[in-house]
Amino acid sequence: MLLILIGSFALFTYLQPDIFLNPVNLQNIMIASPEIGVIAVAMMVAMLTGGIDLSTVAVANLSAITITTLYSSLMASDPARAAQMMPFIVLLGLVVGLAGGLFNGFLISYVGIAPILATLGSMQIFNGLAIVWTGGKTLYGAPEELAAVGKAGVLGMPTTFIALLVIAGLVAIFLNKTSLGRKTQLLGTNPVAARYSGINSRQVLMSTYMLTGLLGGCAGVLFLARNPTSSADYGSSYVLLVIVIAVLGGTNPAGGFATVTGVVLATLTLQTVASGFNAIRLSAYEYSIAQGAILILVMILDQASTKRKLNKGLNKANWFKKKARK
Amino acid sequence: MLAGLRGSNNEGVLALVLVVIVVAISILNPVFFSLTTMFSIMRGSIVPLIFALGVLIVIISGGIDVSFAAIAIFSAYTAVKIAQDGNFDPGLIVITLMAACFGALLGLVNGAVIANFRLPTLIVTLGTQGLFRGVLIAYVGSKYIANPPMSLDEVAKTNIISIVNEQERGAFLHVLVVPVIILTILVAWMLKRTMFGRAIFAIGGDDEAARRAGFPVVRIQMMVYILVGVLAAVAGVFHVTLGRNANPQDLVGNELDVIAAVVLGGASVFGGRGSVLGTVLGVLLIQVINNSLLLAGVPTAWQRAAVGVLLIVGVGIQALSAKRKTKRSFVTAQLGA
Repeated sequence: MLLILIGSFALFTYLQPDIFLNPVNLQNIMIASPEIGVIAVAMMVAMLTGGIDLSTVAVANLSAITITTLYSSLMASDPARAAQMMPFIVLLGLVVGLAGGLFNGFLISYVGIAPILATLGSMQIFNGLAIVWTGGKTLYGAPEELAAVGKAGVLGMPTTFIALLVIAGLVAIFLNKTSLGRKTQLLGTNPVAARYSGINSRQVLMSTYMLTGLLGGCAGVLFLARNPTSSADYGSSYVLLVIVIAVLGGTNPAGGFATVTGVVLATLTLQTVASGFNAIRLSAYEYSIAQGAILILVMILDQASTKRKLNKGLNKANWFKKKARK
Repeated sequence: MLAGLRGSNNEGVLALVLVVIVVAISILNPVFFSLTTMFSIMRGSIVPLIFALGVLIVIISGGIDVSFAAIAIFSAYTAVKIAQDGNFDPGLIVITLMAACFGALLGLVNGAVIANFRLPTLIVTLGTQGLFRGVLIAYVGSKYIANPPMSLDEVAKTNIISIVNEQERGAFLHVLVVPVIILTILVAWMLKRTMFGRAIFAIGGDDEAARRAGFPVVRIQMMVYILVGVLAAVAGVFHVTLGRNANPQDLVGNELDVIAAVVLGGASVFGGRGSVLGTVLGVLLIQVINNSLLLAGVPTAWQRAAVGVLLIVGVGIQALSAKRKTKRSFVTAQLGA
């Protein structure tokens, strides 16, 4: 993955060095990455259990809208208190994300709806609520402190980018070092074996989707840090993008295998490709073609390599089988 | 007796829900209960129903397709643009055939990737959705065509039944309802009575079992996606005809309504189950709800949330009853992709 990142970076540097290597452009890649990266990490966690979470972007918007409305209404009545309450309001935004995740988790683990359908439906509900709430308009008046944090940076790195690294690190620690995280991985690898080894799959699924919801809430806060407005249909193209990123980052959509590092690197790669496309003047639609093509290609290659691994042992048997099938 | 009325995929329950909703809305707002409303709901169902038939076939075969809207607008827009650029007007049938060819081609792309590499269908079709739409807008054309060929315009204005009564509200039944009814019957016949239809059910039930029973699984999966492409293209042309414009930005984004209709109609996302009757009822139910929320005094902004709630309730009931039947709690975890 790191190789692809460096490769794509080098390619665009070669094609359009003045525009692409411009510090502003590099800064832009780092500013645009965090929100997508956090949602992609959420998608990866869902895929790790063999599920999917299509509702994260809608959750993120809902959380951003909550923060904006609360803050701007407090601001109107009592500016001093608004500034004082700011951290609580942001926290409330995260709670909205968590609640969205709780809803998904309930549908998936207790009611037993397939994750695609449950999150497709809840995406529609969250999105619908956001439309009703905002009346389809863009809301202004998000906390200025958040925007200020978004604009600030340490050693040339935007704060939001550091936030992405911190969040990704925490998720990685959760998945690899805690028992719940381990259980999540096992559940994705083999649900039957997980059940027989005494893992409460309901509880694990529940916490998985709560985590993706919470990450959605974090993404909502990052939306505001990058751009102090919120609307119901912000980032509607992210749903496809984050699936591409997750799969590109080595996540197996059937569950059981994923790494946080892979996903973060994949996020950076795709952002590099996006800004590179910009630098060589290709349209957003050509970028969408590239996304689709990359997604399918990576999955085919992945499939081919796992097949090769599997076949090593059963090479002969398979050869006969294939011949017989023909 | 009650069990018999329920139907094999809960069609009876769905029909009952539909009737209850219609009666309830009619009581709330008597304007609703009229021939005008019925005909307009039927007109509104033309395009979603054709889409739904395609989605039904895919879902029965154990997959899911979210690229059909992209295929539809790609095929229809390209066909109309060819007619426009060539300055000729081949008529609805030839345009539909042209679009169907494009649809088949794009469906073949989906089918080839899915069947040969056995990849998760949702993710592949999400990818091809971006691909098809990107190619359409970047290379075929991004302009809104406001004046499609005259022949389509003629069709758009043709009604098979028009009742103009003394009030200003007339009732019009659009002519395109006829091909849709024919298509519906054809698909129902194909699924129930042909070897191909049986094979789709078999693959959706258990593809390994289907393979051992001697079905050419890869070929049938390809055919399924080609068929969906063709159906989507037809729906796309009808959409362009009814709307009397071809907009490349159209249709994509409304996939959920169609998938919700099919799932509500009793098709199982695990594959192997589903019926045309249920799908028709599901499409009508969503159309009635979309149509009547306004009449019942609910703001349109709630529509999207309402469809989401409907989907979750419908699927939730299915999931709970399936759970009660099998008592195997890990089934949910198996769906994955």
